[in-house]
Amino acid sequence: MLKEELIKKSPVRILEKGIEGGLMAGNIGVISSRKGIGKTSVLVQLAMDKLMQNKKVIHVSFTTQTSYVIAWYENIFTEVAKRKSLEHFGDVHDELVKNRVIMNFNQDSIDVNQMIKSLRALIADGGFNAESVIIDGFDFARAAVDHMTKMRAFAKEMNLEVWFSCTMAGQEPLLDKHNVPVILRNYLDNISVLINLDPQVEYIHFIVVKDHDRMNPADLHIKLDAKTLLIAEV
Amino acid sequence: MAFDISKMRNIGISAHIDSGKTTLSERILFYCRKIHAIHEVKGKDGVGATMDSMELERERGITIASAATNVTWGDHTINLIDTPGHVDFTIEVERSLRVLDGAVLVLCSVGGVQSQTLTVDRQLKRYNVPRLAFINKCDRTGANPYRVRNQVGEKLGLNAVMMTLPIGLEDKLEGLVDLVEMRAVYFDGDGGVDLRFAEIPAHMADDAASYREQLLDAASMFSDELAEAFLEGTETIAMIKTAIRKGTIALQLVPVFCGSAYKNKGVQLLLNGVVDYLPNPTEVKNIALDLDNNETAVETISEENKPTVALAFKLEDGQYGQLTYVRIYQGSVKKGDELINTRARRKFKVGRLVRMHAASMEDINEGTCGDIVALFGIECASGDTFCTPSINYAMTSMFVPDPVISLAIMPKDKKSADQMSKALNRFTKEDPTFRTYVDAESNQTIIQGMGELHLEVYIERMKREYKCEVDTGMPEVAYREAITERAEFNYTHKKQTGGSGQYGRVAGFMEPCADHVYEFVDSIKGGSIPNEYIPSCDKGFKEAVKKGALIHFPVVNIRMTINDGASHAVDSSDIAFQQAALGGFREAYLKAKPVILEPIMKVVAEGPAEFQGNIFASVNQRRGVITASTEEASFCRVEAEVPLSEMFGYSTVLRSMTQGKAEFSMEFLKYGKVPTNISEQLRKDFEEKRKKEHGR
Repeated sequence: MLKEELIKKSPVRILEKGIEGGLMAGNIGVISSRKGIGKTSVLVQLAMDKLMQNKKVIHVSFTTQTSYVIAWYENIFTEVAKRKSLEHFGDVHDELVKNRVIMNFNQDSIDVNQMIKSLRALIADGGFNAESVIIDGFDFARAAVDHMTKMRAFAKEMNLEVWFSCTMAGQEPLLDKHNVPVILRNYLDNISVLINLDPQVEYIHFIVVKDHDRMNPADLHIKLDAKTLLIAEV
Repeated sequence: MAFDISKMRNIGISAHIDSGKTTLSERILFYCRKIHAIHEVKGKDGVGATMDSMELERERGITIASAATNVTWGDHTINLIDTPGHVDFTIEVERSLRVLDGAVLVLCSVGGVQSQTLTVDRQLKRYNVPRLAFINKCDRTGANPYRVRNQVGEKLGLNAVMMTLPIGLEDKLEGLVDLVEMRAVYFDGDGGVDLRFAEIPAHMADDAASYREQLLDAASMFSDELAEAFLEGTETIAMIKTAIRKGTIALQLVPVFCGSAYKNKGVQLLLNGVVDYLPNPTEVKNIALDLDNNETAVETISEENKPTVALAFKLEDGQYGQLTYVRIYQGSVKKGDELINTRARRKFKVGRLVRMHAASMEDINEGTCGDIVALFGIECASGDTFCTPSINYAMTSMFVPDPVISLAIMPKDKKSADQMSKALNRFTKEDPTFRTYVDAESNQTIIQGMGELHLEVYIERMKREYKCEVDTGMPEVAYREAITERAEFNYTHKKQTGGSGQYGRVAGFMEPCADHVYEFVDSIKGGSIPNEYIPSCDKGFKEAVKKGALIHFPVVNIRMTINDGASHAVDSSDIAFQQAALGGFREAYLKAKPVILEPIMKVVAEGPAEFQGNIFASVNQRRGVITASTEEASFCRVEAEVPLSEMFGYSTVLRSMTQGKAEFSMEFLKYGKVPTNISEQLRKDFEEKRKKEHGR
């Protein structure tokens, strides 16, 4: 399969169709679930889809070392390439790597303001015209509403599509009556797309909680394969 | 004297520059009674540390050559190998690592894990060297050994456990708590030679208890006996030491010691650690290749009565001629023994045999397996293996990267010209990554190496040691050429100029080949080229790939296949087919869409976070690709891939840009395609240079 075909047939297209054409630049999207369900995998696949289209992506990790993040990309790329028998494997891979920068922060000492400063430095000084920013492992419990407002303004200013992951932990109920994770309740105004990963017996279901102006719209019919953690149609 | 190998340690001290490695070595020599007074590096007394034997190193306050020196600690013999700290001299480091059984990784308690620490640690990992960590400079303002320990865990991915805790920090550093013996140790007397043991101070009791628990938890993983005893509260010191030793040698545990070499605190405990936890030569597996048996791997056996296997790992030009440092892996080396250099296939007799202290030596009659000794007057290159003539082994060939940068040098006067060849001859023998040749076209002497600084140091050494002054040209990058498409050729070489003519026709194709530098495939069927001329074709192609048509750099990753041809009963010859192959190559080369490749370096720059933007910008300006960036507290680390040709003078740029607060390391990563505009410029420059040379 050629790269172009791979992009066209990517399950991310279905996701985009379901949420009015995608997250769009200037907006913040969040993938939430309990720990260990597959948020990172989803984020990496969203990033990979952009990278395949020769768009630049910054992957920010608050939890793992850069080498682990690279390993995630390598695994998912090899898996997808193998399944779809991707042609020009090596060249496509080199291109992807060129379009990706991994940033690693420690939330103990780096807050959102500092992160924005570093992202700005990379985009402006580093000449890295990113279209997407992936932020994994950010602890919303340690952030303030003001932070997300700033992040949204930054996304608008730089024309970035920003995807966060959010881990739900602690006491039940984790979701409020609108299916919004309790931990995200205060940030909801700044979030354009909110997706919950809901583990079923055999797979993990995508539940769209917020889609731009709509709450709890129709089902997307996409899932995460429990074994490979790849996005697929239901 | 019967020699007990189990009481021998071959260790190296690996570290980032300025972490106090030389001072530490100096103290070790002092406590082992090898020297009588302590000199400081960059010393006020102008003497300089004893391990830094070269004047140049003294001036720069760094150590370049790895001198091996033999010391005694208690009833143990330690061969101490001082390894260089700068990344540009990594071949020196790697060569030393090859002969080490264990290492002490020195870290600065203020600076912690820095980019060069990572490089050095990666090298230790590559050679599976068990290590201890020593967190030095605990007397400095801002010292925080606990943070450094955490960095060792996180950044180096090592299972690091505290063995000692500092009592007080910075200028209040008084002594250490030994977590195995559970007592305080103070260093009294002149130079801290007298150890005084005491109760752990009350304010440290809680910390000591909790760190000891961490230590025992970690050590218990390697000993069921200890694990059980720990649960019952009946653990003994011997049990703990055995378990830590097991974990350390298995590369699963890194014991961390603290102290300040400069303030004479903690070095003796570190030496005890070397003896207690690092392996003796018999505990390390070493592999030799049997050259008589298709290079099958053979494990060397540390027994004195076996045939001798020794590796020459370091050459030095001393007052009395060439000194060769060897590590003996098997058997022994005695005065008067006959050995064979298995690379040069040359037999020689062992003459003078010595044990080295940094600048003085002691004559000995015999060196046994496991030991490191030096031989006089042996003609050899570093990396050669010496054996008893009955066997033919080579120690595993060391990983030697190809040079990535070259520089033309011209002697300033006649005397320098004579000295230059002497110096180059010496350096190339000492350092396999340093190469030299005379360019046939320009008739210039070219030196090649792993980086700008690498070459600069040798030019300095020429000046100092050989009184040889040279002018240098512009540094040149080692480009490569490669084809991107398959192309066919069908070339006839015909020459009729009286006498016997030359005739040969060669047909086939060339294609890119990712896994080999050069490959030759013979698909001739039906003998259209006689068998005897097939190697001639191979030879012709090999000649052709030495110089690509674009900018005359070697062509790599190419497969040449021949599938047809013709010969003449009288006029065909070896030369004729070589010429035909050469012609065939030239015919197809430009059709195969060749491109220029350049060396891409992996660059890691580190510094205060406020300069992150500057670092990003500097990488961006240099056609670099930022691959990762890590930020913690006020510290940032940027990883990037940058073409070598853009890295000239980067150290100066980075320093001035960040007020000297940032630093970088780089190593060769891969060859990458040069962008079109630069490729065109390179070709234009090349044409102009050629025109100028022809015009002369």
